[in-house]
Amino acid sequence: MIPAGTIIRSIAIVATATVALALTACSQFEPRDKRFYYRAMWNFALREDLAELDSEFNGVDFGHSNLYENLLLTGGHDVPAIEEQARRETLAFIATKPRLNPNEEAIAPTYMKLAWRAQNTFDEAHALHRATYDVVVSDEPDKDRAIRDVLAYYRNSAYAITSKRLDHRRLDRFPYSKAFRTRFPLFNATIWSYHYLQVAVYDPLQAATDLAAKTKAVRPILTTYRRYLEHPPVQWTFMPLTAELSPQFAARYPDVANIFDNLHMLHDNISDILTSERLPTWEAKRQEIYRVVDHYYLASADETNPMIVKSEQEHRH
Amino acid sequence: MNCVGRQVSGLVALILLLWQPMPARALDHDNLDPNRPIGMEDAYAIPKGEIGLEGGVRFNDRREGRTQVTFQPQIIYGAFDNTQIEIQGDLFTDPRSIVGANKSGDFHLGVLYNFNTETLILPAMAVRVEVDLPTGVNSKGVDTQLTGIVTRSFGRLRVHLNAGYTVMGSPAGQERPGAYRAVAAVSYPLGYPYSFRDTLIASLYTRQSDLRGQQNHTGIEVGIRHQLTSRLVVDGGLGTEFLGPSERAALLGTMGLSVGF
Repeated sequence: MIPAGTIIRSIAIVATATVALALTACSQFEPRDKRFYYRAMWNFALREDLAELDSEFNGVDFGHSNLYENLLLTGGHDVPAIEEQARRETLAFIATKPRLNPNEEAIAPTYMKLAWRAQNTFDEAHALHRATYDVVVSDEPDKDRAIRDVLAYYRNSAYAITSKRLDHRRLDRFPYSKAFRTRFPLFNATIWSYHYLQVAVYDPLQAATDLAAKTKAVRPILTTYRRYLEHPPVQWTFMPLTAELSPQFAARYPDVANIFDNLHMLHDNISDILTSERLPTWEAKRQEIYRVVDHYYLASADETNPMIVKSEQEHRH
Repeated sequence: MNCVGRQVSGLVALILLLWQPMPARALDHDNLDPNRPIGMEDAYAIPKGEIGLEGGVRFNDRREGRTQVTFQPQIIYGAFDNTQIEIQGDLFTDPRSIVGANKSGDFHLGVLYNFNTETLILPAMAVRVEVDLPTGVNSKGVDTQLTGIVTRSFGRLRVHLNAGYTVMGSPAGQERPGAYRAVAAVSYPLGYPYSFRDTLIASLYTRQSDLRGQQNHTGIEVGIRHQLTSRLVVDGGLGTEFLGPSERAALLGTMGLSVGF
């Protein structure tokens, strides 16, 4: 005969464990919320007309996800695993000149489960990136209207990054900030090289009048980018900004440029979070990623976001 | 016009209604839908706003009786957040006078709702509700089906469980009034880390026979989905039923194409 006290204790333990599991599960209950790209005549103009550049962007997609997965699985402190192995995998994938963007959930299955909402935020912003390339490469007669339309579609998402200018220097002063670039300078410079390519091509593409001219215009940028991949620019102290590399594009579409710069800053923040020992557990990293995304990046936080630059004087890089 | 003709006309009209003169957008070959190419699915809906046109040809070389070929036109629409609507109308060659819920020319409406994305703790979960309207050959009554779907990944390997129950609207003779179906499947992306165009899928399934007193149809299927271009996915699959009634499948084969836009 089992004593009544033992039974009650057992029930209490099971009940507590069940409640704890349910509460944890509830905190991780997240909608998927995937949204299709803005549908337009110019979809895939880059892929179809400037495949050389498009394949580089497909490689960039691999690079980000592969980095996050490896940082997560290695605890952010295995230098050879990131600087040598993960970087080598990324360069090998880029060298295949992929004609299609890779399946990022196959590259980073663990990271996607850790921080899907952040990934969806990236996916939406990357779709905006792709759409703007398609518009500038295409023969769309009214490019301003097309970019306005795709921007409006983007802003309609609950995962839209703010188009306000954020104080990136301040966003780079969290307790864990710079952990990634300090420990993994080669991969950090590789990431910044991606961001160089992503923003440097806008002005040359916009200035060129036809496809032959556009193809020619991006060649020097691709040459520079490939040199950066071989010899990452570790001397850089801050990420490339749209206004510095494509000033005309940034002046014409300041909201879009701000979104891209904010997106790239968020990439840096998440790299730091995944690297830092100050956030020792996966759950702590997840909570911090979501805190940063929710409070400082999503457009839905614009009313309360303390990182929004209120005046030009505040914004000095 | 007969029932099948009306069915085809309806599908064509709907395609024309949904079609806009715009190029297609990428279809996710890792998002698994039933029959493309095998009879299982994952717990995720297609993205909101996406339209997918899918079509396939499936042959069923039965152990007894004639080989049957099925044409599987389907439209999928990401109508709402995490929700896809499906319209389908399978067309069978002879023998058409089959028993069971799925009759040639039946107008099939389905809704899949995905509750959540997979996290470190929770699997992705979804529910599918389907209705077969009796527009087909020898079809009577409205059949309804409810299916629960769970997807859980282990590294790059994804495991999918589907469990459903079909209620027959108008069972005749020895037909069952209802039947369950259960599928356990795995999918795996081939080619990592150099290629992301192919997904391999394998499943083990069992479903109650259409007639009372017979063994469950139990079999295995293997398939592959290949991203051909940004807009096109091709698929192919093979299977066999190793348990079941005498007319169970000796060899099942499917070829299909999906366009997303």
